[in-house]
Amino acid sequence: MPAEVLLAARAITVRFGGLVAVDRVDLEVRHGELVGLIGPNGAGKTTFFHALSGVLEPDEGRLLVGGEDLTGRAPHVFASHGVARTFQTPRVFREMTAEQNVRFGLEFAGRTRAHAHHAFDDAGTILGVLGLEAAAEVPAGALTPARQRLLEIGMALGARPRVLLLDEIAAGLTHAEIDGAAQLIRRVRDELGVAVIWIEHAVRMLMSHVERVAVLHQGRKIADGDPRAVARDPGVIEAYLGEEGEPVREAA
Amino acid sequence: MKTTREQLLATLACGVVLAAAPWLLSDFLLALALSCLMYAALALSWAMFCGPTNYLSLATSAFFGLGAYVTAWSLGTLPYGAAVLAGGLAGSAFAALIGAGVLHLRGAYFAVITFGLGELALHSITYTEKTYFHTAGRIIGDPPENAVIYWTVLALALAAAATAILVRSSRLGTALRGIGSDEERAQTLGVATRRVKVLAFSASAFFPGALGAAMAVRWTYIEPLSVFNPFIGFQTVLIAMLGGAQTLLGPIVSAVFFTLVSEFLRLRFPYVFLILLGLLLIVLILYLPGGLASLLQRRFWRAGAR
Repeated sequence: MPAEVLLAARAITVRFGGLVAVDRVDLEVRHGELVGLIGPNGAGKTTFFHALSGVLEPDEGRLLVGGEDLTGRAPHVFASHGVARTFQTPRVFREMTAEQNVRFGLEFAGRTRAHAHHAFDDAGTILGVLGLEAAAEVPAGALTPARQRLLEIGMALGARPRVLLLDEIAAGLTHAEIDGAAQLIRRVRDELGVAVIWIEHAVRMLMSHVERVAVLHQGRKIADGDPRAVARDPGVIEAYLGEEGEPVREAA
Repeated sequence: MKTTREQLLATLACGVVLAAAPWLLSDFLLALALSCLMYAALALSWAMFCGPTNYLSLATSAFFGLGAYVTAWSLGTLPYGAAVLAGGLAGSAFAALIGAGVLHLRGAYFAVITFGLGELALHSITYTEKTYFHTAGRIIGDPPENAVIYWTVLALALAAAATAILVRSSRLGTALRGIGSDEERAQTLGVATRRVKVLAFSASAFFPGALGAAMAVRWTYIEPLSVFNPFIGFQTVLIAMLGGAQTLLGPIVSAVFFTLVSEFLRLRFPYVFLILLGLLLIVLILYLPGGLASLLQRRFWRAGAR
């Protein structure tokens, strides 16, 4: 029996003036799925995330969260329906402590939502899971960029998501930290059944951590499926080699 | 929270002590105390919204003037207390209206437009008075006793302090801080930012509205230019910033300090006083956006880090 579809994007199109940044992209993610989203620079990944989180209203297409049509609604509606995200450039509340940053989501989007697991129900425990417990009382603006990225995940987890959108969380992290973050994401997925969509520029790293990968190229989705199959896809290889020769093949 | 309760109790204790002033102070000192309380309440209510969100509202004098006119229109039909309440509600209603329209603007744009909307209110009232009532100003007959005015303003100042304390420790306060720090991020974490901003802006405007209504009876004759005086708004902003709009005590201490100094300077050197005021505002915005309180906090922070 296929799991419940938590997020469905149907023919999402976003235009900036004459430029079509996202071009009729369909994407469905189910309960417990861990999906990678890759594509060369300028492929429209982050713009697509903006649409999925309500930050940017798509010009065309529909967005369904848990079966409910949220197209055109404000970001806080997406958040209260369980869509939480991180930002590529960390956007923590700089003057607030790390603990207050995590508690923020718990007090708003996460307030009326329930989690199946207590480990993600409390700001202190979330910080512990992220390895940031020692920084709990430190103003978020004083953390290193890498730790701010981790804190971004904590803020999103505080919102008690059903769908977690991660935008390049590994940039600037060490290998050990990336492995830790990947393990954390798997754990969140396994324990909470959260659907995760994960954008990463480091394709090879991402491919080894996700079970499904979708590829955007010039705003279009050109592939979607098993990472090994996608890595062999001639269209995908063409897209990357044509641009900069990102080592997709090594992932296979 | 324990500290919140302590702060509320301290506010109440101050209120009890200050309530005795009409029996103890001379008329001159009572007028000075009234002025301190009025500016403390104005600065507290301004900082309630503008402190955490980093908005710069110059609409305070508009709310104040509206409140004053509510009294001017209704005194005689409404009792004083009801007029004060109605003045507060008029301030809130006007703030909700302009807030819904312009709170998406930020920084200088918001400051300029709130100032402009204040002028609009001023001229609308001038026009209405001239066209429909054929009058340029109004004489306020039968004002309440000075002690009653003092207690009313004291009650408003205490209510402003209590509201500020409660907002700070509530989810509303957290939401406002999130909005000030990164509005879009707050939105993606579930804050209905537009609603929160309009609500808080409107609630904070109750106080200048009610104070305008309460203070109007101090003048025997009021006209739009005297009660919509932009100076009231500027002085409120200056006091809140001087004290530190992010803090609770800052606006209160600064209101007392500022009122006493300005009263002294106004009596001695009326022109130099205004020049000094302008310079102070410029210096503060350039070099000390967090107010005097931020100096202290920085020092504590450093001391703590060592």
